[in-house]
Amino acid sequence: MRNLIIFFRRYFNFFLFLLLEVICIVLVFQNNNLQRSAYLNSANDISGKMYDKYNNVQYYFHLKATNDSLVAENTRLHNAIRTSFDSVVTGTGLKIDTIRQYSDDTLHRVIGTQIRRYKYFEAKVINNSVNKPINYLTIHRGSLQGIRPNMGVISSSGVVGVVRSVSDNYAVVLSMLSKSNSVSISARLGQGKEMGSVHWDGDNATYAQLKDIPKSAKVHKGDTVVTSGFSALFPENIPIGYVDTVMLSDKAGTSFNIRLRLATNFYNVQYVYVIENLLKDEQQRLEDSTYKLIK
Amino acid sequence: MSILLRNIIRFAFLLLIQVFVLNKILIHQLVSPYLYMLFILALPFNLPRPVVMLLGFLMGISLDMFSNTMGIHAAACVFVAYLRPFIINVLSPQGGFETTQKTPSMTSMGVSQFLIYAAVLVFLHHVVFFTLEVFGFGNPLYLMLKILLSTAASLILIVLYELLFFTKK
Repeated sequence: MRNLIIFFRRYFNFFLFLLLEVICIVLVFQNNNLQRSAYLNSANDISGKMYDKYNNVQYYFHLKATNDSLVAENTRLHNAIRTSFDSVVTGTGLKIDTIRQYSDDTLHRVIGTQIRRYKYFEAKVINNSVNKPINYLTIHRGSLQGIRPNMGVISSSGVVGVVRSVSDNYAVVLSMLSKSNSVSISARLGQGKEMGSVHWDGDNATYAQLKDIPKSAKVHKGDTVVTSGFSALFPENIPIGYVDTVMLSDKAGTSFNIRLRLATNFYNVQYVYVIENLLKDEQQRLEDSTYKLIK
Repeated sequence: MSILLRNIIRFAFLLLIQVFVLNKILIHQLVSPYLYMLFILALPFNLPRPVVMLLGFLMGISLDMFSNTMGIHAAACVFVAYLRPFIINVLSPQGGFETTQKTPSMTSMGVSQFLIYAAVLVFLHHVVFFTLEVFGFGNPLYLMLKILLSTAASLILIVLYELLFFTKK
């Protein structure tokens, strides 16, 4: 026993070193769970508030770019709204009013979910990175304002990422710029509708890879690649990127490797929209029960 | 200024510089400079080793909180803090460094000695940090380039910091 104590005293430093390293490694691995609570990340109160203060200053320098993107988006939405179309003949097509599905009071109760499937929240980006292997954005909107993990996040020009963890007033978004096998976005070609998946290769924040597009597809430079709408995170037809170069994955390969120029400019994203899928649980339940049946 | 106060201020200053300036700078995908471990390098010579390690852990975990890299910075910092005394022992002349200068710096250790000291520890820090961050040796060339280029960038920053704050008397 005496010898044991002496042994421990002599190598105390080494044991302390091992203990601390083990704590660190455990933290690293715990962090890999997609669903985790938000104490020690940038969604917590201290760092969230400090990033908020920092952003107040830094935001000012991006006002011009932010305004431009908001005006561009407004134009796009004005072009899509129904009053922009000539509707003298009303009996030709079935038109569904998707506007009045919520009560007008502050509760925003859902009156009917038959038609409305997605609800959008705007959120301010207060921290962002693009040069790490796995990148995150911190947004100033949390569980008190209706954000929950696993909601899709888009910017005015395209897909941004997925909400990973939330605290009361902040949320951390796992950026699309994440070099990880678990982060891929279900995509399809805007023209031909062929399905594929988009990964980021960790190299450059303006490009990503689109895989699994069959060789039979007709792909041209500049074609839009949009979300497929299968994943329950994003509605369909939200731009992900534009085709830059097309290669065969190998000589005998049956699929293309396509390099995309990302639709979202991750260097200056200031505002994002968080998407709540109101029918997600129902879809998930049905899919899960079906998988169980097959097993 | 007392050594304690000096170190507390340095802790806060380096953390803020790292989070709000260096982490925002985009030089290249391969170059990400880190200055914050200078806090561990510049702790007093005679500080007990467990204290150095605990302070290193504290510094690492504080930065992890800001950069969403839970535990990675802390692991690298603890590693550096553990190896620091060995490097100092190897580099110190007979009978240790002068007792008038209590912290490692260019003036107390000499320019070349300090550069070796900083280079070795910064390199080790980057090896641990980037290996954990990339997690895997799938692309060893990329990892090595990133470690080497980032070490060079960090060293330049450390030398600049030293020249700014530790002028020769």
